[in-house]
Amino acid sequence: MFDSIIDPTLGPATDAGRGPAAPADRPDSLSGLRLGLLANTKRNAEQFLDQVGRLLTERCGVTALVARKKPDITNTAPEPILDDLRTQCDVVVVGVGDCGSCSASAVADGIILERAGIPAVVVCTDAFTASADAMARVRGVPGYRYLTVPHPMANLSPEGVRDKAAAAVPEIVAMLTSGAMAAAS
Amino acid sequence: MTTAAGPADRAADPAEQARAVIEYCYDQGWTDGLPVVPATRSGVEEFLATTAREADEIIGTAPHLGRSITVAQAAANAIMAGCKPEYFPVVLAAWDAVNLERSARGAWQSTSGPCPLIVVNGPVRSRLEINCAGGVFGPGFRANATIARAIGLIVRNGYGIRPHELEQATQGLPGRWSVCLGENEEASPWEPLSVVGGAGPGTDAVSAVLIRTCEYVDNRGTDNPEAVLTDFADTLARLGAYLGGGHSSGGLVLGPEHAQLFGRNGYGRADVQQWLFEHAVRDRGDLIAAGKGEGPVGDPAQAGTPFPMMPSARDIPILVAGAANAAMSMVFRPFGWAPWSGRSVPVAWSRALSGV
Repeated sequence: MFDSIIDPTLGPATDAGRGPAAPADRPDSLSGLRLGLLANTKRNAEQFLDQVGRLLTERCGVTALVARKKPDITNTAPEPILDDLRTQCDVVVVGVGDCGSCSASAVADGIILERAGIPAVVVCTDAFTASADAMARVRGVPGYRYLTVPHPMANLSPEGVRDKAAAAVPEIVAMLTSGAMAAAS
Repeated sequence: MTTAAGPADRAADPAEQARAVIEYCYDQGWTDGLPVVPATRSGVEEFLATTAREADEIIGTAPHLGRSITVAQAAANAIMAGCKPEYFPVVLAAWDAVNLERSARGAWQSTSGPCPLIVVNGPVRSRLEINCAGGVFGPGFRANATIARAIGLIVRNGYGIRPHELEQATQGLPGRWSVCLGENEEASPWEPLSVVGGAGPGTDAVSAVLIRTCEYVDNRGTDNPEAVLTDFADTLARLGAYLGGGHSSGGLVLGPEHAQLFGRNGYGRADVQQWLFEHAVRDRGDLIAAGKGEGPVGDPAQAGTPFPMMPSARDIPILVAGAANAAMSMVFRPFGWAPWSGRSVPVAWSRALSGV
């Protein structure tokens, strides 16, 4: 009826949403694998991932840790960091999505890694599921599965971070070994 | 005696058609909650005629979202915001000024939910009837209201950053997407903000900084400039505005009475900035008591010294706006830690409008 109206949302097409929606193949276990830890600059993100790395090394036989910290909470990890993770890791944990921008960009990082064939688990706090889900739709993977931990993360003491990491580890293992991406429908 | 209009009469009524098209735009998810003006191809052409820039020029990118924004898309959103065609070059300059801010990259999805504070200088203020005087923060003035709103619609529709989805403002702030001020150059004792920002005197130019809020300072009881500065310094040094990282942030929209008090007493803009930088300080114990003692605040080597809350004198932007009818001013709070870019963007008119 209103055919003359211009859709103000239509801009130049880009390829952010292109690529397979299927998850990378999962290993049977983490034993003998190299684990990447992709942190952002939010408070306690690195500490949380350090604990995850420690626990997966102790409990699951991870043999190497590759920890990287991306400099920008809004954008996806820069190419050199992604390249390190793609070439030096078998599986990756990304996090922590604990703000509006970084929850969405953590999901984008996870999807980029999955598309490169690297199983990844993205960790967000449960306050940011809306932005995480929105980014998954933007990236062409609606229903993308990520791990939520109780909000908040930033105000935790070192003990609080340790406890939160310990509580998350079983689910991280399950998602790295049994499929994190929504199956393409 | 009139009879009730039937469905056919209503369908033929242009006012009813206008109402239907407004509802259509709501249904598409294109609005910020207020009605929008429908953008048509001919409307966009009319807007594009005001600028020398190409319709398909990319003026913004969000690589993480896979989105880019063109001049034509900005025009559609400016129409929707209620702009007149001749406002469009100012909208484009405001957009560019906002994007000079280092903090803009993460702003639109942030829990902080910041708002662009847009400042217009130059003769364009009177040509477009951009309010610089009473009630300058609005509402009531089409150019001020719609230029600011256009920026918000470009973010929403161009980047697809919508509240409760990618936009995650915890509370937002009153007046987001509605703050566009003309500087009251005629009532200011100092050079225009745009000259500080590198534009030539008399040039139409736009400056912008992202802010988290504004707080009034009402001080009409003294003619002592240091007393008024003391009052400003207190608000600038408020604990709640400090979120770690070594300093807080602040700037001033001076009411003309306060600005003229400083001018009469020989203070330049830089003198006011320096005084405020030196006096907007807190006892480190105040910050520690509020749970904000991390990092430089608790540095043992600095114990006992006052903690400066502003990043530097230069990074306290100051402009003049409002009416000269009461001695009150506004402290504004730049978002994030990056200072104002310090660069004002000249308004680029089409050849027809620039008279060239």
